[in-house]
Amino acid sequence: MNDDPAVDAPIDDEPYRQALSALVDNELSPKECAALIGRVAGDPSAATRISSYRAQNSALKALFPAGGGAMAPLLIARRPGWTARAGAAAVWLGCGLALGLMAGWLRADFGERPSFASDADLAYAVYAPEQRHAVEVPVADEQHLLAWLSKRLDRTLSIPSLREHGYFLLGGRLLPGPNGPAAQFMYENASGQRLTLYITAANGRPGAMRAMHEANGQSTYYWVDGGMGYALSGRAAREDLRSMAVDVCGALGGRPEIWR
Amino acid sequence: MSFESEVVALLPVLRRYAHALTGNAAWADDLMQDTAERALNRRLKWRAGSNLKAWLLTMLRHLYIDQLRKQHDAGGHGSGMQWRDGEAPREQVDGLLLRDVQRALYRLPIDQREVLLLVGLEELSYQEAAAVLGIPRGTVMSRLSRARERMHSLMSEDGAGEPKQPVLKVVRSPR
Repeated sequence: MNDDPAVDAPIDDEPYRQALSALVDNELSPKECAALIGRVAGDPSAATRISSYRAQNSALKALFPAGGGAMAPLLIARRPGWTARAGAAAVWLGCGLALGLMAGWLRADFGERPSFASDADLAYAVYAPEQRHAVEVPVADEQHLLAWLSKRLDRTLSIPSLREHGYFLLGGRLLPGPNGPAAQFMYENASGQRLTLYITAANGRPGAMRAMHEANGQSTYYWVDGGMGYALSGRAAREDLRSMAVDVCGALGGRPEIWR
Repeated sequence: MSFESEVVALLPVLRRYAHALTGNAAWADDLMQDTAERALNRRLKWRAGSNLKAWLLTMLRHLYIDQLRKQHDAGGHGSGMQWRDGEAPREQVDGLLLRDVQRALYRLPIDQREVLLLVGLEELSYQEAAAVLGIPRGTVMSRLSRARERMHSLMSEDGAGEPKQPVLKVVRSPR
């Protein structure tokens, strides 16, 4: 930054350095300011600091612009009570975000993980590495797969497409779960990476999408909607997995107005 | 403006701060979402007229610390270094290469990084930053000063990436 070593030598006088910082941040009283200016005038290393600190601020703002990048849609669950009651689903739109009101959010267990999320995580770890038996019913039999799993879960299921993200359905399987049967759909991309979508009945309150990240790089994004728990698991980059989970949730939620 | 719309209006700020703090866009989105949700569910704890931005940043920070701790307990990534997104642009601002600034930022200890971001990026006053961090104003000043001096010396090194000299010069333990 500066070729003169004297100018760039560390300033060991801590109060002095703090005052230089405070000058940059307009945190000095007029009196302190006047006193400091006198000292800085004869000190090139102080002038270097002031311009360096200012440059750091501008660089940070350039690195992290507010509103930079596309905003992911958000689903915010709330406790009933502050405005309309449940059912009257109002939607706020702002900065490309949608805040959906959902019924039944109680309280206290903020961040508690429903068991289906861990089950989904585990099921991914067990079946995703399977080469020959990754699925019970292959995609060639998609109609049968859907009819069968819909019957077992007692709800009309649909399988969201992840083609846009480069993932294709391999098929699905039925799994046991604490709240009855669970369906696991498996997807794969061209490089053999796999994702699973896990669906089961869930008693949890409808809530925002949450994530759990394992140390091995496996992540699961999960949410509850309409008495069902959904979880998308994989080892894709978090941001990719998250945006796929948002798409899946939009495709399955039955209330896309909350999401878009 | 209603409380909700004020929170919504601040979401891009929360996201920016979370991104700068974690160095990871997806983690930042998760943090922003958790913070927004917590804020909307705790609106009764909000005192009208006080600084909403500082209140939200405080919540975000607590969530971040919780998540860091959990990750650490799970044997995951401790330092935060691994979470840096890819390279910053080579673009120059005020004579500084953004890439070098980014690199230096994630070499700061977390307590220095957060104070630098609150004041330098979010433009909080020292008093507001002290409230967000739960520390005295004087500690804000000393951490900030150390952070900036450290950034300055990291970037004065050749290319900031592979310093010719050991990076650590004089490091005093805080307080």
